[in-house]
Amino acid sequence: MTAAVPSAASAELSPGVPQPATGDATSPATASPLLLVEDLEAGYGPINVLHRLSLTVYPGEIVAIIGANGAGKTTTLLAISGIVPARAGRIVFQGRDLTAEGIPPHEIVRLGLAHAPEGRKIFPRLTVRENLDMGAFTRNDPDGIAADLEKVFTLFPILRQRQQQPGGLLSGGEQQMLAIARALMARPKLLLLDEPSLGLAPQIVVHIFQVIRELNRQGVSVLLVEQNARMALKNAHRGYVLETGRITLSGTGQQLLHDPRVRAAYLGE
Amino acid sequence: MEGWLAPTELAGGFLQFLILGLVIGSLYALIALGYTMVYGIIELINFAHGDLFMLGAFFALGLAIWPMGVTTAEAPLPALVATVALMLLLTPLFCAIVNVSVDRVVYRPLRNSPKLTVIVSAIGVSFIFMNIGLLWRGATPVKFPDLISDANLLEGTGLRFTWKDLMVVAVTVPTMIALTLFVRYTRLGKAMRATAQNPVAAQLMGINVNRVIAVTFAIGGALAGVASVIYGLYIKAVDYQMGFQNGLYAFTAAVLGGVGNIPGAVLGGLTIGVVGELAKAYLGAKWSEAVIFGILIVVLLFRPTGLLGARTREKV
Ligand SMILES: Nc1ncnc2c1ncn2[C@@H]1O[C@H](COP(=O)(O)OP(=O)(O)OP(=O)(O)O)[C@@H](O)[C@H]1O
Ligand SMILES: [Mg+2]
Repeated sequence: MTAAVPSAASAELSPGVPQPATGDATSPATASPLLLVEDLEAGYGPINVLHRLSLTVYPGEIVAIIGANGAGKTTTLLAISGIVPARAGRIVFQGRDLTAEGIPPHEIVRLGLAHAPEGRKIFPRLTVRENLDMGAFTRNDPDGIAADLEKVFTLFPILRQRQQQPGGLLSGGEQQMLAIARALMARPKLLLLDEPSLGLAPQIVVHIFQVIRELNRQGVSVLLVEQNARMALKNAHRGYVLETGRITLSGTGQQLLHDPRVRAAYLGE
Repeated sequence: MEGWLAPTELAGGFLQFLILGLVIGSLYALIALGYTMVYGIIELINFAHGDLFMLGAFFALGLAIWPMGVTTAEAPLPALVATVALMLLLTPLFCAIVNVSVDRVVYRPLRNSPKLTVIVSAIGVSFIFMNIGLLWRGATPVKFPDLISDANLLEGTGLRFTWKDLMVVAVTVPTMIALTLFVRYTRLGKAMRATAQNPVAAQLMGINVNRVIAVTFAIGGALAGVASVIYGLYIKAVDYQMGFQNGLYAFTAAVLGGVGNIPGAVLGGLTIGVVGELAKAYLGAKWSEAVIFGILIVVLLFRPTGLLGARTREKV
């Protein structure tokens, strides 16, 4: 656990070695990062929201970012997806420097990075099935798409029943499932999830996190933003604490769960 | 649009005006689709759309005269068919290219600007088009070749439905059906709807939003091109201001049906066509506009989003 003075924010105690909470430790100790964010600055208009933010996701990891409202969690994910332009620093995904190469958002998806955005943002007047088709927009392997469709229906059986219904008529929890399922249809290597538990009943939150871990077992790396810090840290290999656009703490999920500052500020203890 | 028919001579009465209204209305519907599709995807009221329609008519006029010099319905049938086919092929292509170019050069650089900026630019493009039209064919109306027979297909029934009327229906109906199928079932059509509903999410799906917008302008332009050919052949006269009135009617049709809504544009176009013709017949020509806009106001009072518009515009 690193004590974090904002100026020394990039120090990390356990860099890069995922310690799977799941136990089936096939830890890729030698792996290079799947995602590397270095000294990222991004914001809106004249205001910078992120200040020299650095983080990494190694292959096979679930990484959580926790932080208060307005800390910049959503902005971080949007910058990684290319929706909010990076003003400085670099974002390297699978060895490709997205910032230097100026890769537009729709190309980033093709590299294997899918994003289930904050507030779900499903297409309200497309059917559930059409929403899922859009998730597979970058692909043209019909057999693979059909197999993945079957897979997401197995993960979220309710979506199979609701296939022909407009996405906008689903309940909040169902929409969240659809948003995750839709992102999965891109068959991503890295899945960005922005507040997957927001506004959901506790059993559904548990279900969503079960699915996240199941996906992770199947080889999908996850970078996840959460208000529900306890749930996120319990399920993540590593976590970062984001405060007003700066990483102030980082460590394994367990370390952060037991850190007194995290307990006081984010776990309500 | 008056004068080529003397309704009082006809026995069909109401039914006759209905037929005429549907024919005129399907023309408005074609133009309205271009407004509605562009609005649906970038929330731009494309004021230049009517003038694009006018440029299309001028282009089609050139096609009639230039390649084979076919200018009357008495020309040999193969020449007539070839001329009309050429118009229906090349004019939509011309309008599509012009519309996509305008998007690329004018609207795309303004994608993140305030809406008012874009709308004012569209008004500017409208004036530019109109002036191009003025330079191209002058200020006085130009005769459009009368290539399609006025022979009545319903001779003896008391109703009048000419080859010209049939031409309008035979072109507009399949065009609208094709468009509906395209938007509903193709990959690109779904991407268009997704982009219209949430452009950011569409990008996150890997959709190239600028390309989808360009395709939308291409389709909208092509539909205006089809409409312009039909208009020329039907009305037999074109002038540089024809885009204004017809554009206004078509835009009204789009709003009436629910702007952004494709079936809405068709319904709105047909409604305005029929209402306009009925008002003309029973109240006199000077009343038709008052009735059309009166109905528009009443509909919007009770259904602010138009006849088929989504009740609430979700901003998800
Ligand atoms: N589109 C925008 N335009 C201007 N400022 C924005 C925009 N989106 C976010 N901000 C500002 O950027 C800062 C960070 O916002 P962000 O959405 O990244 O926070 P967050 O950590 O995701 O918060 P929450 O937990 O509430 O979702 C906030 O101060 C917010 O007001
Ligand atoms: Mg957020």
